[in-house]
Amino acid sequence: MSKPHVIVIGAGFTGTAIAHDLALRDFDVTVVERGPIASGTSGRTHGLLHSGGRYAVKDQESAIECIEENIILRKIVPEVIEPNGGLFVALTESDLAYKETFIQGCEACGIPVDEITPQEALRLEPNLNPKVLAALIVPDGTFDPLRLALSFAASAKKNGATYHLFTEVVDMLLDGQGNVTGVKVWDRANNTRYEIHSDMVVNATGAWVGQITQMAHAHVPITPTPGIMVAYDQRLVNRAINRLNRPSDGDIVLPQRRLAVVGTTSFSIEEVDYVPIDRSQVDLMLERGAELIPAIRQAKERGVYMAVRPLIGASGPGRSISRTFKAYDHKELDNVEGLVTITGGKATTCRAMAEKTVDIVCQKLGLNIPCTTAAAPLTSYREFYSR
Amino acid sequence: MEPQKNDPKNLWDWFNPKGRNVGGWAFILNRIAALGLVFYLYLHLFVLGKLAQGPQVFDQFIATAKSPLYILGELLVIAAALYHGLNGVRVLLTSFNIGVPQQKQMFYTALLLSVLGTLVFAVRMFTVH
Amino acid sequence: MWKITYRVHRQKGNEPPHYETFQVEVDPEEYVLDGVEKIWASEDRSLTFRHACHHSTCGACGMRVNGVEKLTCITKIKDVVQDGGTLTVEPLRNFPVVSDLVVDLGPLYRKMAAVQAPAVHALSMTPWEGQNIAPPADIPMRSADEEYIRLPDCIECGICISACPVAATDPEYFGPAPLAAIQIQGLDKPELLALADSQEGVWRCHSAFECSAVCPSNVDPGRRIMDLRRQVSAKRLKLA
Repeated sequence: MSKPHVIVIGAGFTGTAIAHDLALRDFDVTVVERGPIASGTSGRTHGLLHSGGRYAVKDQESAIECIEENIILRKIVPEVIEPNGGLFVALTESDLAYKETFIQGCEACGIPVDEITPQEALRLEPNLNPKVLAALIVPDGTFDPLRLALSFAASAKKNGATYHLFTEVVDMLLDGQGNVTGVKVWDRANNTRYEIHSDMVVNATGAWVGQITQMAHAHVPITPTPGIMVAYDQRLVNRAINRLNRPSDGDIVLPQRRLAVVGTTSFSIEEVDYVPIDRSQVDLMLERGAELIPAIRQAKERGVYMAVRPLIGASGPGRSISRTFKAYDHKELDNVEGLVTITGGKATTCRAMAEKTVDIVCQKLGLNIPCTTAAAPLTSYREFYSR
Repeated sequence: MEPQKNDPKNLWDWFNPKGRNVGGWAFILNRIAALGLVFYLYLHLFVLGKLAQGPQVFDQFIATAKSPLYILGELLVIAAALYHGLNGVRVLLTSFNIGVPQQKQMFYTALLLSVLGTLVFAVRMFTVH
Repeated sequence: MWKITYRVHRQKGNEPPHYETFQVEVDPEEYVLDGVEKIWASEDRSLTFRHACHHSTCGACGMRVNGVEKLTCITKIKDVVQDGGTLTVEPLRNFPVVSDLVVDLGPLYRKMAAVQAPAVHALSMTPWEGQNIAPPADIPMRSADEEYIRLPDCIECGICISACPVAATDPEYFGPAPLAAIQIQGLDKPELLALADSQEGVWRCHSAFECSAVCPSNVDPGRRIMDLRRQVSAKRLKLA
């Protein structure tokens, strides 16, 4: 019997990680992506390798996923990660009051947390606000967004996956019963159209999953929730600096190469392909970022960008929706066979999202092949282009 | 397309001034000066060849060589040689990582000295003869 | 809001390239890449371009803007055009064009792999830090034997190769980014010395310094190539 053929739609973190997982489990894999690698939400993340600390109080399911995957990614893809840790700092009495809750949350989720003196915090991060009242160290990290996705993509390619970049899915191929048997695509680079047949289609299009499910007369409840990020032209910190409080706007400053990035906000939109920049949010990032790192005021703005998170569930305030992920079998949801959708989650948990998705694919195809991605080091991201 | 090795149609890119910066201009001028000097070398050999054709032919040539147009040509040779030599010093120094952050100022200096040198020669050639 | 015209290089498959113009309404504070994305989102879904991080850390969005190599995600529209004006965007030079504004950076990535360019490195391995940046060695980790790890300055965008007049006629020339990656590592490894001290290594450079003028990431490849030349010369003199 020939290998089962799976089409993965989307080459962001989730799609490339799924392709890698499928290829390791010996599937015949085709990735279809309408743009280049990581050109949607994935490329535009702030690049925080979550320790889980940010969710340890309100969203412990996500926090546990984060710390587990954080440890795995450090092992399998060290060449895209700055593993320098993160600080949660208290600047006000209200922050200070949150400290015990935070520590308890971290301990409940298995996140190593270590309190250091404000003096020590200032020695480690000289640009920190000198008014720091308390500081906690957690195993945060930062990663290069494009190169993380490229590492998964290159590993999948090495194991036989094929990529159709700049190739947009324009329709689903359905059999007489409305089950999915493949996709119709438009190759935007060569302006050609063709069909690809498969045994299963995985919809890993993040904030765009609705457009794909619609073509199969299926549906998934997600809320596209953009947030702004502002990059400044100096590397003012060497680790992730978080405000010790409940997640809110502009409460994190991250190093990226020679930059510092401040994020983020959370609001709702309808149109996800082009999200205009709201300058008042840029000002807010400067103001909130400068509370953590006052030297940001002396740095120059270098880039401003918006990323659209695909949060699961119906509309509601973005911060209250869980950051966990969910895979949907549309046979169960809409009685449509041949289509699996994965969405939600975070960059940090993309490998686990892939594992869960491919488990469902295996189950649906009656196969029993275990996942091995947690222990398989990824190949160099450069091999995606050079091979 | 990715350039093919020694594809003559890409040679234009050496001289394409679009979007060039100071260092790029130094490079372009250096190439033009070098090509000019190579052209002059052949011209020079051609003129020397006239010696073999006897004294009359050579004297006749020397007479035409005193025309202002010819002097202008010689000045171009001097300008090219001065610039190519002085820029050579700049390239030599920077190749030992000396003064790389000042390479623009060094280019301006080489250019200025070449212009001044050429002017000195111009004055002498147009007045002394 | 400004009304400007984007003049965009278009090329599909084996068809000959042409230019197409788009009238776009933009905020002058937006970046050139935002305008390109807006054209794709609302005018022409067939437009192809490379992009990912939108803040100069990934190196995907290098293009030529009005003939000059730019990282379009950090190039503000107001800095390259005026209200009512025209802005030309073209793919990078010296790489194979895949489609429209997309080039194949494969040749660069192969060279970066060949010179073992570090994907991450110790913080202290970044000499020549920019202005107002504390010397990295002075910032301690929690214990003395730990060292900060950081991603390098070079984002492998290909902009230096596109601007290099030597790369225009010699695709085998290693080019600015790979040579700079050798300089950062030093010449202790014999294979790196051999690559640097070869016909397609440091000696191929003709000192136009265009790479340093266009580098969006403070790598200053021109100066690093010159320093590599000095190092290679020193090694040769010692051997002699």
